[in-house]
Amino acid sequence: MNSEVEKALAALAEASFVAHRDALAALPCVRRHGDAAALEWLKACRELFLHDRDAGRAFIRGTPAIEEVAEEVLTWTRQALQFMKWRNSWKAVEGFMDNLPRAYLILGHAGEVRWAEIGHKWCMRHLESGTAYFRTPVDDLAGRQGITGVENVCTPAEELFELRRLALSTYLAGAIKVRNLLGAPAVLPWALRGADILQAGRLRGEAYFRLESEESLHLLMEQLPGYRLPEHQRLMQFLVAAWYPGSIGLKDGNWSPDQGRAFVETDGRDLFLPAAMAGREEAVLGVLHAAGHILFGSYRRDHMEALFREAGAANPSVDPGQRIDWQPLYALFGDDAPRFQLLFDLCEDLRVDWRIGKVIPNHLQRMVEEAEACHPGPGPAADYYDLALRTLKRAANFTPALTLPHQGGGNASRRFEPLLAEQATVADAFRIALQLYREIPLAPVSTREECQRAYLPGRSPNAARPVYPREEQTESGKQQRDLDQEEGTPSQTPLPLADEKSPKCVQGGEPESDQKTDRMAGVGGQAGFGIPQPARVQSHGRGQGAGERGIPYPEWDYREGRYKRNWAWVQERKLAESNMNEAIRLTHQYAHALARLKKAIQAQKPTRQAPLKRQFEGDDIDLDAVVGFVAEKRAGLSPHTSIYRRRDVQQRDTAVTLLADLSTSVMQQLPEGQGRVVDRIRAGLLLFAESMEVVGDAYAIAGFSSKYRDSVSYYTIKDFEQPYTGEMKAVIGGLSGRLATRMGAAMRHALTRFRDAPCRRRLLLILSDGRPEDYDDGGDVRYLHEDTRMAVKEAGDQGVHAFCITLDPAGTEYLSRIFGAGHYLVLDHINSLPKKLPEIYLRLRR
Amino acid sequence: MKNLLTRLRGVERDIIQPPAEDQAPYYEPQANEIRVFEAAYRKRLPVMLKGPTGCGKTRFLEYMAWRLKRPLVTVSCHEDLTSSDLVGRFLLEGEQTVWQDGPLTRAVKAGAICYLDEIVEARTDSTVVIHPLTDHRRRLPLEKKGQEIEAHEDFMLVISYNPGYQTVLKDLKPSTKQRFIAIHFDFPAEEIELRIIRNEVPDLGEDSARRLVAAGRRARALKDHGLEEVTSTRALVYAGSMMSAGLEPIEACRVAMVNPITDDVELAEALMEIVKAHFAEG
Repeated sequence: MNSEVEKALAALAEASFVAHRDALAALPCVRRHGDAAALEWLKACRELFLHDRDAGRAFIRGTPAIEEVAEEVLTWTRQALQFMKWRNSWKAVEGFMDNLPRAYLILGHAGEVRWAEIGHKWCMRHLESGTAYFRTPVDDLAGRQGITGVENVCTPAEELFELRRLALSTYLAGAIKVRNLLGAPAVLPWALRGADILQAGRLRGEAYFRLESEESLHLLMEQLPGYRLPEHQRLMQFLVAAWYPGSIGLKDGNWSPDQGRAFVETDGRDLFLPAAMAGREEAVLGVLHAAGHILFGSYRRDHMEALFREAGAANPSVDPGQRIDWQPLYALFGDDAPRFQLLFDLCEDLRVDWRIGKVIPNHLQRMVEEAEACHPGPGPAADYYDLALRTLKRAANFTPALTLPHQGGGNASRRFEPLLAEQATVADAFRIALQLYREIPLAPVSTREECQRAYLPGRSPNAARPVYPREEQTESGKQQRDLDQEEGTPSQTPLPLADEKSPKCVQGGEPESDQKTDRMAGVGGQAGFGIPQPARVQSHGRGQGAGERGIPYPEWDYREGRYKRNWAWVQERKLAESNMNEAIRLTHQYAHALARLKKAIQAQKPTRQAPLKRQFEGDDIDLDAVVGFVAEKRAGLSPHTSIYRRRDVQQRDTAVTLLADLSTSVMQQLPEGQGRVVDRIRAGLLLFAESMEVVGDAYAIAGFSSKYRDSVSYYTIKDFEQPYTGEMKAVIGGLSGRLATRMGAAMRHALTRFRDAPCRRRLLLILSDGRPEDYDDGGDVRYLHEDTRMAVKEAGDQGVHAFCITLDPAGTEYLSRIFGAGHYLVLDHINSLPKKLPEIYLRLRR
Repeated sequence: MKNLLTRLRGVERDIIQPPAEDQAPYYEPQANEIRVFEAAYRKRLPVMLKGPTGCGKTRFLEYMAWRLKRPLVTVSCHEDLTSSDLVGRFLLEGEQTVWQDGPLTRAVKAGAICYLDEIVEARTDSTVVIHPLTDHRRRLPLEKKGQEIEAHEDFMLVISYNPGYQTVLKDLKPSTKQRFIAIHFDFPAEEIELRIIRNEVPDLGEDSARRLVAAGRRARALKDHGLEEVTSTRALVYAGSMMSAGLEPIEACRVAMVNPITDDVELAEALMEIVKAHFAEG
C-alpha cells in the first residue's frame, strides 16, 4: 500500500516539482484517513494538476485547512475532481478550496455537499457563473440561515438564467444584500422585477441587479419597513444645523436588519444613520441625542482621560486612526459588563439629554412621551428602561432648589442629581454609574436583543463605535475646525477621508462584544447594501507633472460641510478627433429640422428687437398712432388710446455656455439599435450652434470628462468671441466619450470662462446622460451630487443660471436636489435631443 | 381738519405728503443707523439700505422721514419699471399733449426723500437715470423735454438693495453702487426683536412673543441650507398677529413663517420641527 503512495508521489514529482513539494507537505494530514484515501487524493492532485496547473496548486495548498475542519478527505476530493469537466476552471477551484473550510463549519457535512452540488450545476450551465458562486464567501451566501440561505439566494437565479441568460455574477451580490436586508421572501419578487427590467434593456437590467440603479434602490427602500433615514437625511442635516452650531456630518451607517434594533451611532465626529428606524420621532430624537453627545463633551479628550483614570485603567488606548476604544473599560467588569454598560449609558445619556433640553425647548418632554409610547414590555430590559424613564421624567421637571419626593428606585433618585448641571462630565456619569452598579440590584441582561431593548427611543449604546476624542478648544470654539491647521498636522487629526474606508461598527450593544469574531461580523460593510459607503478619495501626490496640473478648484465635501481647497484640477484640452464628413452627414440628416428651427427663430426675432407699437401704455408716443388717433377723433369717432410705443421687455442680452458631458456612457448603443448616444449629442450640438448663429446671442460650447480629482478635462469647442467655423463643426462631428463625469469641477471652470462674456444674463446649459460620478468617489454617489449642488449654488451667486438637460430617465430623482425644481429637464426620447436643444434654449432665454 | 381728511382711507391723495407730526412711526434702532442717516442727510448724500427682506428697511425710512420732517415718496421697483415711469411722460389730454411728472421728478421738485425700493428689480435704463442725481450735480435730466431740473436743496435719494436676492439675473452695476452711502441692516438682536413684536402685536403674551422670537432666530440658522430668504422680523410679526387673531401658535407659524419662504418639503419639515419644539405644550 505504502509503495502505491510512493508511486503516486513519484508520478506527481514527474508532473511538477512544485506540486510534489506541496503535496508532500500536505500529505501527513491526509494520511490520517488511511492510505486508500491518500492514494486517491494524490491521484486527484496529479489529475487536477495536469488539467490545470493553477487548479492543482490551489487544491493541494488548500488541503490542510480543509482537512482540519472536514475531518475527511474523499468527499471533497471527488467534488474537486468534478471541475475537470470544464476548461479554465481554475478560478472556480480556487474559490471552492478557499470556501470549503467555512462551508463545512457553517453548513455541516450535508450542507457542504448541497453547496458543492449547486455550484457544480452552475458551472455546468455557465462556468463564469459557477466561478462567481464559488468565489462568494459562504458566510455571505448563507446569511446565518445555513444551506437554506444558499438555496434561497440561488434558486431564483436559475430561472433568470434559463429565460434571460443572466449570469450569476451579475445577480449574486445584489441578491445577497436584498436577502440580508429584507429577508429571503423578498428575493424572488426583487429578482422577477429585475428580470422584467432586463428584458426592457440589458444595461439597465444589469445595473438593477448590481443595485446600482436608482430604480432598484428605490424598490428596496420602498419595502424596507419603518422610517427610512437616507430619504430624510437632508431633514436630519437641517435639524442638526438648526439646533447645534458647527458642523456635524451625517453618514450612512452600515446597519442591516439582522443586527437587531437600529440606532443612530457616532464616532465623535459624524453621526451614522441606519437605513431605517422604527419611527420618525425616534429617528429625530436619535439624531439630536447623538449629536448632543458630540457637543456636550461625551468624547472630550480630557474628560475621557479622567474617566479612564477613575476606572483605574490606563489612559485610553488609541487605534491607528486616533480613535479611542471603549472596550477596555468594560473589560474591567468581565461577564457583568453589559449590566454596567447599561447603567453607564443611562447616566451619561441623562446628562446629555438634560444639556440638550437647555438648548432645545421641550426636548425632555418629547423624549418622555415617546418613551412612554414605546414601552418594551416585561423582561429584564424593562427594569433598565423604567429606571431611565423615571430619571428622565425627573430631569424634565428638575429645578435644583426643589427637593424631590422619593419614588421607586430608592435613594437612587438622588444619585442622578449631580448629572443635571452644566459642569457635569462624562467622568461624573461614570462615577455615578459605578455607585449604582454596586448598589442597585438590577437583573443582568443576557442577550443582545434584550440589551438593545433597554434603551429609550432616541438613545443608543454610546460605545457602539470607537470615537475620535475632541480637544477642549474645539469644544468651546464652536467646533470650527481650522482647515489649514487640519491639513498642516495630519498626524494628529488625520483627514477622515484618507485614514479609513468605512468606520468599523463594533457592536457595543452586545454583551460579548469584546470577542473578536463579533467584531468581524460587525465590520460587515458588505451588508451595507447599496447604501453608499463613505467615499474613498485617494490622495494623489501633489507636485507630479506640475505644468500639466491645470487650474485647481475647490470641491464641496458634504460629510464635513466644507470646501476642500484646490481639490479638483481642471485642464483645458483640445479635442484631437474631428470628423467633417460626420458633421456634414448630420447637418444633412437634420436639414429639415434645422430649417424649421431657423424659421421659428426668425419669427421671434422682430418682436425681440423692434419696439412694440400701438400700445395702451409705453415709454414714448407712437407718432403714427397719434396721427391716426387725432384724425379719427376729428372725424367724430372714438378711437382707442393705443398710441404708445414700448420696447419689448424680452430684449435682453444673454450669453450661454453649452457644457456637454463626454463621459464613457455616451458611447452606449441606443436601445433601438440606431447608433449611439453620442450621435444624438453631436447632432444636438450642431443644431444648437446653427440656431445660435441665427439668434445672435453670445454662446460657447464645451465638453468635459474626468478621471480622478486631479484630472478633469475641459474641452472648449467654441468660445464666446470665436466665430463659428467649419473646423468646429468637424470637431463636433468627431466627438466621442471617455472617462467619467466630475460635473462640479467642470461647472466651476465654465463659470470662470463666463467672466469673458460681455452679457448680464448668463446661462449655463448642461447636457448630461447620467449622474455626476468619478472613479475616486468610492461609490458614494452623494458626494459628487452635493458638490454639484454647491457648484449650482456658486453659479447662482455669480449670476449664472444653471440648467441641466439629461438623457437619464432616472434623472428626476437626483436632479431636483442638485439643480432645484424646474431647473432641469429629463428628455424621455433621445431622438428628440437634436431639435429640442435649441428649443429649450429659446424657451429659457425668454 | 385737512390733515385728517388726507389721512382718510380709500381716498386718493397726492404722493407728496408731509409726515404727520403727531405720530412717529414705530422704530427700534439696532445700531448707529439713525446717526449715519442724519449725517448723510446733512450732506445730502444718497443712501443705500442693504439687508434681507423684512428686517425693517422701509420702516426705518418712514421713521427717518418723520424725524427729518420731509415727505417720503416711495417707488416700488418692478421688472417693467422704465425711466419714464420715474421721470415722467407726455400724455394726451384733449387736443394736446401734456407732460406729466413722474414720482422722482415730483420728489426732486418738492424736496422730498425719494425711496426706490428693491431697485435691482428695475430695468437698467432706469437705474442709470438716477446717476446725475447721486453725484455733485444733483440734477435730473428730462430727456424728452430737453430740460433738466436742479434738485431741491432738501431732496434726498434712498434706494434699498437686497444682496443675494434674485441675483441670478439681476444685480446693481458697481458704478451705481459706489455712488451711495450704504447702511447695512440685519435682523435685530433678540431683545430688540422681542420689543418689536410686543409693540407691533400688543395683545400677544410675553411668553408667546419670547417663544416666537426664539423659534425665528433658530430658523435663521438654516439660512445656508437652501433658504433664499430666512424668517424675517416681519414674518414673526405676522405670525404673532395670526396668533393674536386666534389661530393656534403652531398653525400661525406654519402659515406665516414656514409656508411663505420655502417649497422644499424637507426644509419645511425641519422648520416645523423648530416651531413645534418651541410651542409644544410643556
